Amino acid sequence: MALCANRLQEERKQWRKDHPFGFYARPQKNAQGVLDLKVWECGIPGKEKTLWEGGLFKMTVTFPDEYPTKPPKCKFVPPLFHPNVYPSGTVCLSILNEEEAWKPAITIKQILLGVQDLLNDPNPESPAQAEAYNLFKKDRSEYDRRIKRTVRENAAP
Amino acid sequence: MEHLPLPSSLAEVESLIRALYQPNAPATIAQIQEVLQRLQKSPQGWQLAQSLIVSRDDNIKFYAALTVIVKLNRDSASLTDDEAKELLQNIVSWVLQSLVDGSSAFVTKKLCSALITFFIHFPHLWPLCLRHFLYCLDIGRSTPVESLDDALQTNLIVGNLDRRKLTVAIWFATTLVEEVGKTDMNSPKYVQVHEGLIKNAPDVSCLLARGFSPPQDSTGTKTQGDTLSCFQAWILYAQRVPSSSDLLVRPLRELVDYSINCFADEELFQATAELFSDVLTNYSSFFTEAHYNSLSSLFDSDWAAQHYEQTIHGSHQEDGISFGLLMLAYGDAKVHELMARIDDRSSRFLQRLSGLLAADGYLVGEDHVFVPALEFWSTFVETMIDSTYSDEEQTQNWRPLADQHLKTVIMNCWRKVQWPPAEVFAEWDSAERAGFGDARKDVADMLQSVFTLNGVSLLSFFADLFLQSVAVQSWAEVEASVFCLGSLSDCVSDNAEFDFELSKVFASPFFELLGETHGPIPLRLRQTGLKFIERYCEYFERHGEYLPHALNLLFAAVNDPVLGGPSARAISTLCSSCRSILTGEAGAFIRQYQTIRSGQALDSWAEEKIILAIASIIQAITDDSRRLEVFEELYAILRKDFERSVQLKAQPGILNLTDPDFLRGVEPSKPQVVPAVEEIALQIALRALRCLSSMAKGMQDVKENIVDLDSDSRPVPTNSSFTDIQSDITRLLAEVQRTFSYSGEVVEVICNIYRAGFSETDPGPFVFPADVVTDFFVQQPFETPRLGTLLSTACSFIGSLYRGPKTFVPNHLARLLPWVISLLQALQVPESDTEVTQNGIIFVDRLMSRYPEVLFQLQPQNMLEFFFLFSLKVLDGKEPLPKNAAADFWSGFITLKSEDPGLQETISNAMGHLGPLVAQSLVQNIGGNAARSELDKLSDPLKKLVTNQVRAQSWLEQALFHESFPSKQVTPQEKTLFLRKIVGLRGSRATNQVVREFWLACRGSNFTYVS
Repeated sequence: MALCANRLQEERKQWRKDHPFGFYARPQKNAQGVLDLKVWECGIPGKEKTLWEGGLFKMTVTFPDEYPTKPPKCKFVPPLFHPNVYPSGTVCLSILNEEEAWKPAITIKQILLGVQDLLNDPNPESPAQAEAYNLFKKDRSEYDRRIKRTVRENAAP
Repeated sequence: MEHLPLPSSLAEVESLIRALYQPNAPATIAQIQEVLQRLQKSPQGWQLAQSLIVSRDDNIKFYAALTVIVKLNRDSASLTDDEAKELLQNIVSWVLQSLVDGSSAFVTKKLCSALITFFIHFPHLWPLCLRHFLYCLDIGRSTPVESLDDALQTNLIVGNLDRRKLTVAIWFATTLVEEVGKTDMNSPKYVQVHEGLIKNAPDVSCLLARGFSPPQDSTGTKTQGDTLSCFQAWILYAQRVPSSSDLLVRPLRELVDYSINCFADEELFQATAELFSDVLTNYSSFFTEAHYNSLSSLFDSDWAAQHYEQTIHGSHQEDGISFGLLMLAYGDAKVHELMARIDDRSSRFLQRLSGLLAADGYLVGEDHVFVPALEFWSTFVETMIDSTYSDEEQTQNWRPLADQHLKTVIMNCWRKVQWPPAEVFAEWDSAERAGFGDARKDVADMLQSVFTLNGVSLLSFFADLFLQSVAVQSWAEVEASVFCLGSLSDCVSDNAEFDFELSKVFASPFFELLGETHGPIPLRLRQTGLKFIERYCEYFERHGEYLPHALNLLFAAVNDPVLGGPSARAISTLCSSCRSILTGEAGAFIRQYQTIRSGQALDSWAEEKIILAIASIIQAITDDSRRLEVFEELYAILRKDFERSVQLKAQPGILNLTDPDFLRGVEPSKPQVVPAVEEIALQIALRALRCLSSMAKGMQDVKENIVDLDSDSRPVPTNSSFTDIQSDITRLLAEVQRTFSYSGEVVEVICNIYRAGFSETDPGPFVFPADVVTDFFVQQPFETPRLGTLLSTACSFIGSLYRGPKTFVPNHLARLLPWVISLLQALQVPESDTEVTQNGIIFVDRLMSRYPEVLFQLQPQNMLEFFFLFSLKVLDGKEPLPKNAAADFWSGFITLKSEDPGLQETISNAMGHLGPLVAQSLVQNIGGNAARSELDKLSDPLKKLVTNQVRAQSWLEQALFHESFPSKQVTPQEKTLFLRKIVGLRGSRATNQVVREFWLACRGSNFTYVS
């Protein structure tokens, strides 16, 4: 528990010092305005020169008590149209899976960059929602149109 | 690559080394390197080094040192202790030689590295390596380690060294800690090395003390710079040593005062500031209270005042912000004390820290110190909040002073977030612009924390600033005030007690100001103002008197290319929240919409938001006939669009692009590209469909109705008043779908329109009767695009049926089921459309869970058989999503029970036939065919099988020993043991683990995740 809090404090410090362009990540505030380090509100911009450019996608990152032994859970709010995002909004990505590529050394910055990469480079091996996955595989032009609408609905301010 | 032959003479080797350092083709260099490395690795390597070191050529001497390092790393185990000692003495003598024979510094440094490599391999032979090295330097020759017993104390030895030797010793001490630091201190192999290193700390301290105050000789080289780097390297190491031993830290701490003196030297200032900032930030416990006091006095000195002034007024680009960062690092390390102590010195220091938020120049291109300073102040505010909650009594002492500082901080932030004039902004690059935006976000964030402490006074502070700046027409200040007020909306908006402060703003000429589209009001201000209105939509619910102003303003901005999107969004937020106060305005809004529609710039997304807004107002009209009337008025506009699209498709000749109604089919961002007529027709239809879908969403009820799932008593809602309009809508939708039968998007939006009614409990124009919806589905042929979406909509429809009256549910299901299965039959293989497969299975699963009789009465019977075998095939397949659905279906099937004896018998018979097949499929998966991530899902039906079916054990056994079992890695005994385990666990959670282990065994031990 203390390990979790210390690490998150450190992550916050590092993030403030150095974070990638256009992203944001900050712990949520509870009703009294006090920070809850275990739930972060993040924003992931679509990469330049991809269909996702111009969008800013909100994601909640929730850290378990066992963090950093166990990975955080990343969830797009609202859920995102994307082959590797579950209908609930939860992101399916190997570095976020305890049994796959999660390592305690992975930083929040790396996670957010990883999710940004995933946006334009979905992994057809692990589909999480039928609609986006199916369109991605079978009807790329329709898929692209949907992405454009998604970007429009989540336009960066 | 061709290998060169090994050289046969020393001269040849030397010429190869020379060639290595000459410009050459990469391939040649690689060849030379290869042959030289072969030579280094050969048993003659040692001798080679010895021969090369006497060369006059620096490159060759360097290569000799390198060869020693290579040999030590490869072959040190083959050396006896005596041989090693001899080697050590040799290397030391080479170092000494290099100091007198005119060798370049890089040769001496490389030889020092060779010594460190020696230490890492033979720590026991050279325990006090630094002291011994210093001793040899002092006496000018290499002596055996044992002779150290006769040596003077280290501080006396270093006192004898001239600057040159001192510098070499400092290189040695730096490389020593850096190289040892690279080895794993937890590995048994290196434990002794690290212990040995720590024993050298007192000698390091002596050496560095001398390095900080070197002899007054004439060589002119400074040693303090190297000394600082060495000191920093040792502190960095000390920080990593767990429970940093006194043996290491105490001698290092003695050097702090020396290093503080380096601040005064302008040449050393930068490095010293970096060292202190680094240690304060990462290892603040290294410094003692006395050190902190020294630093504190330093900050209070004239020298500091001068540096501070330079940070505030100087050029950050040219001079850096080291001093500012140093202050902030100190502040961060002592934040609690600075806050709680109310002495003058702390207060002066905090005052300066708040001043760092007011340096000259714009964020972030010119003013580099604001962002780190803001970070400090955010921490400060958080510390205040924590302390206020934890110790209220103490708080009274420090709070007034801290609040004063905060006031300056807030004021400074308010100044800094002000936009520069447009011409300045235009010159910024994208990184500067984004940085500016980010810094504003950080300020907003901090203000929210400050609100926790200061509440309403913060709000009134900005409201007053707003009024003052409006009075003097200072637009950048007005914008900043509105921005800051807006940032507090999350803390404030739902609480009426703050309305008084907000009313100051809204009662001012705020709306008139933002309404001026021409003149001096900058676009930024209008943008921030509109956002502000949206953020405080709850305020307008309580203050309907300002709502018309707000909405008029927003509607006026809808056609603006920049403000259009945000305004439309704000309109929909406001109208949705304030719908019940706005019902009287519905007609007026529809006319507004008609006016806006004729504007070319109206973006389709913004239009949908406006439709949503108007529909949500219509929804709130309580009088049924009035509601219908207004609804029809809005619907009529869209209806014309539908008709136009269908007509245009049939008669392309009617296209008239000067007519805004046709222009709707052309993307406003690319008016110059005119697409084919057919495409324009489709776009007009799609736009109208999306608007209709927004209408349907807007018409959804916002109050929460309690749904009684099991009650049949609820009367069927009388829909009669909507009958006409509903049949018109369905007719139109069908016509549009027919006209554009190739468009998947059309199907998708139509599905959304139907879906919008599924969750409703009260009658409404989009709450279609169930048979209308069923009709819609069953007439969709397999060729319809986006069949998967249709099926997922049908799944939602089942949920909606279940929430409604029960009487006709079986009839609808009985009509839908054959349609669904016929679609699955039309698939060539389940994988050809995974979305259809998945949703088809989910549909049957949902149906079966409540109405199994509908499933078993399906005619013709072979459809049902087809489905069972189909879903088994899916369970065997590789597509994860349909496979999950199939696993769920079979879990449900295995546990299926009916109170009707006839049906129960049918179920049991079916299970008797299907049980072995399900068992086989599961076992094949668990026997290695499944992916690891699917195992939990597949364990479900397995557990259900074990607990619900008496024959499960024999079915599973058959499957495990069937010749088709996919793995040869497990023995029959292991299979039997697995079976016994899962049967014994009786469906408990532990089954998943057993399944996992068995799967792993079947996959073979060499299978692991690549990570």
